[in-house]
Amino acid sequence: MSLPAHVKPPTRAPIYAFVGNPNCGKSTLFNALTGLKQKVGNYPGVTVERKVGTAYSQHGQPVTVIDLPGAYSLAARSPDEAVTRDVLLGRRTGDTQMPDRIVCIVDGSNLERNLYLVHQILDLGRPVILVVNMMDLVESAGLKIRIDRLEKELGIPVIPAQASSGKGHIELKLAMSRTDLPLPKHRWDVPAAISRSVAELQASLQDNDGKPPLIARAEALLLLTDQDPVRVAGSQPLSERTTGILDHWKRQWQEEGTDWSGTLVAARYDAIGQLVQETVDTSAHLTDQNTSDKIDAVVTHGLWGWVTLGAIMTALFLSIFTLAEHPMNWIDAGTVALADGVKELMTPGDLRDLITDGVIAGVGGVIIFLPQILILFFFIGLLESTGYMARAAFIMDRLMGRVGLNGKSFIPLLSSYACAIPGIMATRTIEDPKDRLVTILVAPFMSCSARLPVYLLMIAALLPPGEGSLLTRVGLMVLMYTLGTIGAFAFAWLFKRTLLRGEPPLMIMELPPYRVPRVKDVVLQMAERAGVFLRRAGTIILAISIVLWGLTTYPKSGYDISPGEQVAQSYAGQAGKLIEPVIKPLGFNWEIGIGLISSFAAREVFVSATSVVFNVEEDEEDTAPLLQALRQATWPDGRPLFTPLVCFTLMIFYVFAMQCVSTLAVVKRETNSWRWPLFQVGYQTGFAWLICLIIYQTGTALGF
Amino acid sequence: MSLSSQNALLPLCQLPAGALGLVIELQGEGTFRQRVRELGFGESAEVKKISGRSTILCQVNGTRIALSHEAARRILVRPQFSPLAQG
Repeated sequence: MSLPAHVKPPTRAPIYAFVGNPNCGKSTLFNALTGLKQKVGNYPGVTVERKVGTAYSQHGQPVTVIDLPGAYSLAARSPDEAVTRDVLLGRRTGDTQMPDRIVCIVDGSNLERNLYLVHQILDLGRPVILVVNMMDLVESAGLKIRIDRLEKELGIPVIPAQASSGKGHIELKLAMSRTDLPLPKHRWDVPAAISRSVAELQASLQDNDGKPPLIARAEALLLLTDQDPVRVAGSQPLSERTTGILDHWKRQWQEEGTDWSGTLVAARYDAIGQLVQETVDTSAHLTDQNTSDKIDAVVTHGLWGWVTLGAIMTALFLSIFTLAEHPMNWIDAGTVALADGVKELMTPGDLRDLITDGVIAGVGGVIIFLPQILILFFFIGLLESTGYMARAAFIMDRLMGRVGLNGKSFIPLLSSYACAIPGIMATRTIEDPKDRLVTILVAPFMSCSARLPVYLLMIAALLPPGEGSLLTRVGLMVLMYTLGTIGAFAFAWLFKRTLLRGEPPLMIMELPPYRVPRVKDVVLQMAERAGVFLRRAGTIILAISIVLWGLTTYPKSGYDISPGEQVAQSYAGQAGKLIEPVIKPLGFNWEIGIGLISSFAAREVFVSATSVVFNVEEDEEDTAPLLQALRQATWPDGRPLFTPLVCFTLMIFYVFAMQCVSTLAVVKRETNSWRWPLFQVGYQTGFAWLICLIIYQTGTALGF
Repeated sequence: MSLSSQNALLPLCQLPAGALGLVIELQGEGTFRQRVRELGFGESAEVKKISGRSTILCQVNGTRIALSHEAARRILVRPQFSPLAQG
């Protein structure tokens, strides 16, 4: 068979793309083939990042494999789906080469729905291998898929598989090693009503956008169903001419009342329906309630669903705060020991201080949250890979609906209790761009673990030992978390009504069947996410720590001044004094101001910054000296600085203010502009200031 | 379920739990209709409502799908007789 020029066996090894619906087992298969560590989950769209791995053919030749995000259709509805579409169409030549060959993975127990995407992909005119996965589910449902028949009808290799047990892996590798992969037999008639437009668009795509003929046809078909094209950064835009033709046809159809997209989808489903009828034997199909249905009867129940969710959330938070305690102490001790070690090895001077006080203390202060983040990721991974996460989103949908968001925003907000950064990254599966932006904007209100040390210090300062019961302390802590959550929901409600007005979200989400999670996969996923966190600690946070150290160290004057005096006249001290007029109405002086400014590195830096400012010999094991110093701190006129009211106001400030540069950097990356992160700084910090003003002034007036 | 209501179209949100329906008409924006169709939930799909008043849970083609109330309101179905009204 002679192949068209663009699919001729190239001189280099072919590049494969793995494509499939969410939850079809694509990631597990990709892991098994490439051995690359990457996450596997059940929640629709968990494979967010572009993953590239190397598999080895039967002859030991390396084969590049791109694992594309799960998608239901090439007509993208979310950023992940847009990436899948753009890579397959060769629109992302800047970062990803157009794959030469495509491996489509389908869930055999739901062949019809899964074949829709395959049908679109067969249009691309590239060699395709079809993997019919989840054969165990197919059998237990009493279905029979005639693989040989499917192979004959489509004209491509079809491989039955069971990704979780390894069945079909060798066959897939063998097929991928073939140099003579056939092109699919893909005959289907474009409905007459729209066939002329397809021809015109195809011609224009070839002439004006430089697309090869088959790609042009596939893209022409796609443009008709891509009604609200999600454009993602880094993808090439269409030529003016093609856009013009598309607009012309759409206007004409609108006048005629032709539902072009409906016609096209229906034509595809007709073709698929016929194929499925010929290849799937449903005579022994069991329609009994299966295990998943039985679990769902409880887990999605009006009352028991909430009980289950509540129990899981309680277990999650208890684990984060109790299990993480010891590892956090170890990391803390390790950081101090490392700093001490460096202090002994190096001669005193700025370089030594930079390394110990800037680099080690700064990065160590963030890495200390690693245990909590690992536990959170482990739970999230577990919930995703069992299939429960989609149920949690289902349960929460009603509550989220009250503020104008849908259940899919729940997971990002939940993750933000540990750290806003994974939370904001998890918004990529939200389809509606406005919903996604609102979720990003409010996620930092959820009290992240970096605020915890500040809350703990302030509660200790507020209620000296012996005063106030344990219940009051816990109550104060819960109050802070509640206020942040209320803030997030209130602002989401406000934004959905003003700035980002939009139709009530129409959520439609698949609930995958429950699976027994593979601990290995969950741990790999956790490790990978932790790796992302550590890389960030090693780059952005390292840089910020160095800058902040510089700001608190320079300019230098004299030798015989105390560290506190040095900080006072440093750039940071000057900045603290500069902002004092602004924060004075909240009851904060310039020394607290330095703490607020340093918090931009990470909020918990407040604790170490105040230690420096108040001249406390650094001893992270024991906050007693710091508390002592805080209690003795006064205004110039001798009034105590840290009154209970000021401590409380300061906590409230930390609940609402946007003080995290790392989060801002992530928001910038996800929204592609500085506009939204700057807006966040403005509105969050402005709101924090306002509410603190009200609390402090009212409190003072009432005599607290 | 009375016979007279057999032929009337109901929005999916009003279909009783456990009942079967045949999707007859989709309303709402083009993007929404298209995605519903692409998920195999389009015209002539058979849907079984499992539960839910606000957020709706249903079964289509062997897949469990959750829909918000607003989404379910836009899917019009014709109720079908089911041998197992509650299942």
